[in-house]
Amino acid sequence: MSTNSERFEAPADELLAIRCQLGERAAFDALIARWHEPVWRYLRRLANNDDVAGDLAQDTWVRVLRGVGSLRDPAKLRSWLFGIARRVAMDRLRFEYVRRGADDLELDELPSDDATQDLEADLATIDTALAGLPISEREMLTLFYLRELSLADIALMLAMPVGTVKSRLYRARLELRRALEIRGAIT
Amino acid sequence: MNTPTNMHAGSLEDIRRLAKGELSMRARIGYVALLLVAAAMTVVVLSLWLTEPALPARTQAAFGVMSLIGSAWVSFAVWALTARRPLFARDAVIAGNLAVVFTSVFVVGAFGAVILSGAAAASGALATGVVMLAVAVWNLFGARRRHAALAARRRELESALRTG
Repeated sequence: MSTNSERFEAPADELLAIRCQLGERAAFDALIARWHEPVWRYLRRLANNDDVAGDLAQDTWVRVLRGVGSLRDPAKLRSWLFGIARRVAMDRLRFEYVRRGADDLELDELPSDDATQDLEADLATIDTALAGLPISEREMLTLFYLRELSLADIALMLAMPVGTVKSRLYRARLELRRALEIRGAIT
Repeated sequence: MNTPTNMHAGSLEDIRRLAKGELSMRARIGYVALLLVAAAMTVVVLSLWLTEPALPARTQAAFGVMSLIGSAWVSFAVWALTARRPLFARDAVIAGNLAVVFTSVFVVGAFGAVILSGAAAASGALATGVVMLAVAVWNLFGARRRHAALAARRRELESALRTG
């Protein structure tokens, strides 16, 4: 299953990856301009912390810049990029887990509560509910809905069958729904 | 929610600065030059060491140390070009041309030394230089092939995107 945006953007992603592999400096600028914010937001979802997300984004980009030249299938740029971000984040979380212990691991930094409009309030509620989910459910929802990765891309990135991705996504949706119900956002 | 553009660490500007350092052409070509010079120096020292008869122990030890130092620099340059500053397709073609020119000069020099002195060390350096030249030519062809394949795919994609 592929989303509309993926169908149109995949060749553009591949072209960008190939221009980087050729060594065009302008292509790297375009790659960073195109993907830095999505990668940062994904890392922000995983880490629940702006500063940590910033550090993780730097580590991710170092690996991307050093690795894009040997990317075997440039058409898979998107899943490869997020796969690197995920590995960087998991390495950090594992390190933090060992260093601090599991209890202190997720001291969530909640989104700002200065929203004055209904839409902003809704988004803030979803954001908060999402931040309260376990990391695997949060990651699944972020990749599928916010980053618009296809099920096949997510399966490739997480090295699991598409069926498993579907069932995890289903479970994550239920978890989010429950979290929103608790907050009274939906009935 | 915050965005990465208003942060201290990991902002778009930070990443652009990071990329500028990571993508420095000067650093890449510097490592290629280091690899070539270190390889040539090691070949000359090894040739002298292995072909000169009845060298004193101290001289042998000195040659051994110099060979080790040269090999260490070669290993470092190979590691840097593999892990730290990998060559992109265009860089690889430039580096390949550099390597062919450098090893050709080395072979001509070694050939001249063989003609003028007839020393066994010069013959050893010449033989190794010829092998290095062959490897450099092989690498250059590989780099050109890869560059051509990527450029062709790029044209295909650009054409497909233009026609929608």
